[in-house]
Amino acid sequence: MYIEIYSLGGGRSHEPGGTGPPSLAVLRDRPVWAAAGRRQSGGEAETDRDMKKHFRVCRFIMETGVKLGMRSVPVATACVLYHRFFQRARLQVYEPYLVAMSCVYLAGKVEEQHTRTRDIINVSHRYFNSGSVTLECDKEFWDLRDSVVQCELLILRQLNFHVSFEHPHKYLLHYLMSVKSLVNRHAWSRTPVAETSWALLRDCYHGAMCIRHTPQHIAIATLHLALDSYGVELPVGEREWWQVLCVDVTKADIDAVISDLLQLYDMEAKCI
Amino acid sequence: MDRMKIIKRRLSMSLRSARPVDESLSELAEQMALDEPSAARDNGEAQVNANTEPMVVCAVHPPASHSAPSFLRQYASHLGRTALRREPGGGLERDRAYLSLHRTGSLGIVHENVKMGSDGESDQASGTSSDEVQSPVRVRMRNNHHRRISNEDINKRLSLPADIRLPEGYLEKFAMNSPPFDKPMSRRLRRASLSEIGFGKLETYIKLDKLGEGTYATVFKGRSKLTDNLVALKEIRLEHEEGAPCTAIREVSLLKDLKHANIVTLHDIIHTEKCLTLVFEYLEKDLKQYMDDCGSIMSVHNVKIFLFQLLRGLAYCHRRKVLHRDLKPQNLLINEKGELKLADFGLARAKSVPTKTYSNEVVTLWYRPPDVLLGSTEYSTPIDMWGVGCIFYEMITGRPLFPGSTVEDELHLIFRILGTPTEETWTGITTSEEFKTYKFPRYNAEPLVNHAPRIDNDGHDLLSLLLQFEAKKRVSAEDALKHSYFKCFGEEVQTLSDITSIFSVKGIQLQKDPGKRSSVFPESTMAHKLGSAPSQYFQREAANPRAQSQNLSSTSTG
Repeated sequence: MYIEIYSLGGGRSHEPGGTGPPSLAVLRDRPVWAAAGRRQSGGEAETDRDMKKHFRVCRFIMETGVKLGMRSVPVATACVLYHRFFQRARLQVYEPYLVAMSCVYLAGKVEEQHTRTRDIINVSHRYFNSGSVTLECDKEFWDLRDSVVQCELLILRQLNFHVSFEHPHKYLLHYLMSVKSLVNRHAWSRTPVAETSWALLRDCYHGAMCIRHTPQHIAIATLHLALDSYGVELPVGEREWWQVLCVDVTKADIDAVISDLLQLYDMEAKCI
Repeated sequence: MDRMKIIKRRLSMSLRSARPVDESLSELAEQMALDEPSAARDNGEAQVNANTEPMVVCAVHPPASHSAPSFLRQYASHLGRTALRREPGGGLERDRAYLSLHRTGSLGIVHENVKMGSDGESDQASGTSSDEVQSPVRVRMRNNHHRRISNEDINKRLSLPADIRLPEGYLEKFAMNSPPFDKPMSRRLRRASLSEIGFGKLETYIKLDKLGEGTYATVFKGRSKLTDNLVALKEIRLEHEEGAPCTAIREVSLLKDLKHANIVTLHDIIHTEKCLTLVFEYLEKDLKQYMDDCGSIMSVHNVKIFLFQLLRGLAYCHRRKVLHRDLKPQNLLINEKGELKLADFGLARAKSVPTKTYSNEVVTLWYRPPDVLLGSTEYSTPIDMWGVGCIFYEMITGRPLFPGSTVEDELHLIFRILGTPTEETWTGITTSEEFKTYKFPRYNAEPLVNHAPRIDNDGHDLLSLLLQFEAKKRVSAEDALKHSYFKCFGEEVQTLSDITSIFSVKGIQLQKDPGKRSSVFPESTMAHKLGSAPSQYFQREAANPRAQSQNLSSTSTG
């Protein structure tokens, strides 16, 4: 069984509704998400539970990305695809881990770092059943692969083919180079500002905040938080350093990003 | 303070050793120093089967510690042409190593074109790479413990540095401002519902003649019942087991954002069970057919109009950081008004500010620039400009400039006309390994005007600006539009809005092409003007244009 996506015509796709979670049947023995609430009545709002779910699924996307040797930007694209999809679709209708697998697959195509469906399935299988043997090439495997491919089309349609995104990574990289030249060389080498801001940036993708803020603002905010966390001081001029790097950013924008990010970390504890 | 500790601990998601916050920095540094060799060893073991040392560096990100520069440099090297300084020796080798990593697929990524052998080398996670599985073969996990990516490896890559110290100000503010946890956050976007009018439905379009067939798509002429206009229906087959072709995904995602008088318009997208149909505006023929149709003798005035439109469309793409990557006469469509539009963005891609390294098999050989032919994978907008030069020449002379059949042949043809490059004409070429292995004879450059006698001085100047060996020396589309070659069009053409056609400017119109076959077959002009001639007609008519072009060229140039 896989997701029906053919009832096209611009409207909402066919939803399997009461027929249970679409596919991934093979992976269903994993208690973490098999037990996860599908009994929810499903309100309009993104609930606490949904956020936690998305958090875990994004974690899965990132782990899968690392295991598949994907670079940072394709992994980020996969997360954005995922969040954009669930911005428009209800968590109760689509199996999030299947969507996540298709997002990884699609992100590989979009970012020109192609991955094979087989590799994604094998890595996911291992994630859900650690220590088990690889899936055999039987019907289950092919069904699962069809599901991933069909779900990719579903995502494309939901997102209306808007699948290439601008990410904060390149901005952060440029900002880091600029800031580095302003800081005392020894202070810079003693403090892992670059790694920290990079890690903060990656963690942004655990939540929908990564699509709520502009790439420049996220880059500035993660750098800001990293600098402040290590107490690295930048020379003070007429304007703040972040005003120099990015013209349209305000302190409120930065605080908003940081607040969202801290909320993610706050939630992370509740998830685990 | 307690809260800060809690947050602090959480900050390092799944960090192995959650250490007390108050630990001194030096102690942490020590721990890191101890950690690092063991981490390196882990990585080393994980990559025992990898062929070279640098692959280890690239395969797994270094543990977050003091290695910021190398970490970023590594990222930068993926990004390719950044403004970053690279270490004199290391940079290139790193790139290579990364590529070779892809080739061998040691971590389970399989490059698009590369088949990984099922030789026991592959990671158990990746199984046997090829999806065309010999059916009953079991995909077995291999007991290859060296290749396992341990949880520690992942945590290393997915964690914050251990010694991060959040400023208390943030935490206070966060405690005050943070919204209640279950605050509604989703913003449901409204769903466009154009389907009621008929968009997105296959029934809206009547399929007429087949126009052409490509590797993954078939193009039909069609008519929209909504507007009664002709459309081109590009049917993309989906039975392919790898899902939607990435060329189609890229083409659609790019074209949706491109609105310009010289870029083909995507009207609609239709999904059905077995295919994805893209509905484009219909244009009579492509530049190739147009040139054949007029016996390869175009009016030089029309050449100028077409070239200007090509550059306009391209300048718009390049402004939006989109490369076409596959310019050729077959991809330039022309309607009966003489409007030229760029089509087939299957190989195009949005270019980010620091360009990436693209796969280097992208442009059709005849229009491929020499730097790409010599293996350069770091290219930017100049990649399209070389092709413009080739097309310009082809319009003027009626024959392709460098019709090479292999990469070596293509380079040979280029160097025979433009001269074999030397250090003066192409900085750094003499140290290029690829260039040296070919051992081209030393040709001297011939003046292009000898090959294209109909070109005027301005045109010759523009052509030589386009056909520069070195990518960065090639004129940009934006600057080419301002070249004195186009002076006769006046000032107004320079300030047109994106969606305004050049023919809205008074006085700009096509002239009759001297080689136009319509003079021989007047009835075809009628059919053409009525816009009802199927494009096969033009192809059939153009089946034997060469003999005629010979006759005509002797009369027109003589």
